[in-house]
Amino acid sequence: MIDLIIFLSLLVLGYGAGSWAEKRHYRSIADRENATVNLPAVTLKSVDVPEHKIQSARLVYGSAVISVDYFKRILASLRNIFGGKVKSYESLLDRARREALLRMKEMAGNATVIVNVRIETSAIGKHSQRKNIGCLEAMAYGTALTVEE
Amino acid sequence: MKFTARQPGINVNVSPTHPLKEFAILAGGLLAIVVGVYLALGLAVDLIVPRLTMDLEKKLAGAFIGRLVENEDVADTRRSLQALVDRLQDRCAPLPYTITVHVTESDAVNAAALPGGHMVVFTGLLAEMTSENELAFVLAHELGHYANRDHLRGLGRALVLMTASTLLLGADNSINSMIGQGMVLTELSFSRKQESRADEFALDTLFCHYGHVADAASFFSKIPEDGDPGRFGHYFASHPENRRRIGHLKELARERGYPIGNPLPLPADITAKINPR
Repeated sequence: MIDLIIFLSLLVLGYGAGSWAEKRHYRSIADRENATVNLPAVTLKSVDVPEHKIQSARLVYGSAVISVDYFKRILASLRNIFGGKVKSYESLLDRARREALLRMKEMAGNATVIVNVRIETSAIGKHSQRKNIGCLEAMAYGTALTVEE
Repeated sequence: MKFTARQPGINVNVSPTHPLKEFAILAGGLLAIVVGVYLALGLAVDLIVPRLTMDLEKKLAGAFIGRLVENEDVADTRRSLQALVDRLQDRCAPLPYTITVHVTESDAVNAAALPGGHMVVFTGLLAEMTSENELAFVLAHELGHYANRDHLRGLGRALVLMTASTLLLGADNSINSMIGQGMVLTELSFSRKQESRADEFALDTLFCHYGHVADAASFFSKIPEDGDPGRFGHYFASHPENRRRIGHLKELARERGYPIGNPLPLPADITAKINPR
C-alpha cells in the first residue's frame, strides 16, 4: 500500500513539475530563437564567399542535458509494452536539440553564419547501475564564419 | 524578393497528443488485459482439471504440505482416522490417490481435500462427531471430492497459476509457495452440484462399507439454527442448503433401498483426545 502511495505521489509530482518545467523551457527557447533568427546555422559545408572576405572561422558548439520526469518515464515504459511512437520522449529530444543549437549560436556571438552544423545525441547513465536515469545530451557544433560586409 | 528569416511556426517533431490522454489509453489497456487474463484463468480451470496428471498434482501439493505441521498431541487421532480412510478406500472407494490424513487443531467444523491426496481434518469437526458412521460419512464425502477432482477445481484461479508456474519454473517456485501460504484451507469453495455428487459418493461408500447408512445425514441436522456458516465450512453452506442436502440424502437412500442400521461408536482414540469438554 505504501509503495502504491509513493508511486502515485511520484507520478503526480513528475507530471506537475515536468509539465511546468517543459512549458517554461519552451517559452525560453521560443524567445531566444526569435532573438537569434538572423544568425543562420546551416548544414552546408561552406558558403560561396571569396576567401579574403572571411575574417574568422572557428569551431562553435553547444550542448544540453535534459532529464525526463517520472511521469514520462512511466508513460514510456507503458509504451514499451505495446510499442509505437514514444511520444513522451519526443519533447525531451526536441528541447535538448534546440537548446544545444541555441547555446551554439550564443557561443558564435556576432558571427555572420554557422556552417557545417551537426547535431548529435547521446544517452547519459545508460550503463549505470540503475538504468532508468533517462536523461540525454544533445550536442550541436559547427563552424562560425564572420564575413566582411 | 528579399529573404526574411523567420521561425517555422509549427513543431513537427513533437506529437500534439496530450500526455494524460496517452497515459489513460495505455494504462487502461493494460488494466483491461489484466482483467481479461484473470477472467480467462477462471474459465481455464475446467479445461485444466481433467488433464492434470497425478504426478503434476503431487508437485503442486508441495506448496501446501509445508504448512501442515504434525502435532504430537493428535498423532493417535491421525493414525485412527488414517486407518478408517484406508478401510473405506480399500473396499469401497478405490481412488487413484494415496490419501494421507492430517489433523489440524482448529475450531472450524470442517475438513479439506488438498492436492496430492492430502486430506486435512480439523479438530473442531471431530469434536462434533458422535459415531463412527457419521465420521465415515464426512471422510467419504471428502473422498468423493477426490473422486470427482473437485479439490482441484476448488482452488480456482490459483490452480491455473500454480500449474503454469510448476510447468515453467519447477515444483518449488516462489509463486506456488506464495499461493500455498496465502490460501486459507477452509476457503476452498465447492459448488452445490459438486457437494451433491460428493454426498452421493459418500452415501454409496457408507452403504458399501457398513451395509447400512445410519447417521449419514445426522451430522447435517446438528447445525444450530443460529450457527455461524463460516465455522461449518463446506458442510453447511447455509441452512436451507443443508435441509436440501439432508432431503436429497434421505431420498437417495430410499430410492436405492439402503437400510438404516445401528451406528458404531467412535474409535476410542478419537473420543479420548478430542472430547475432553
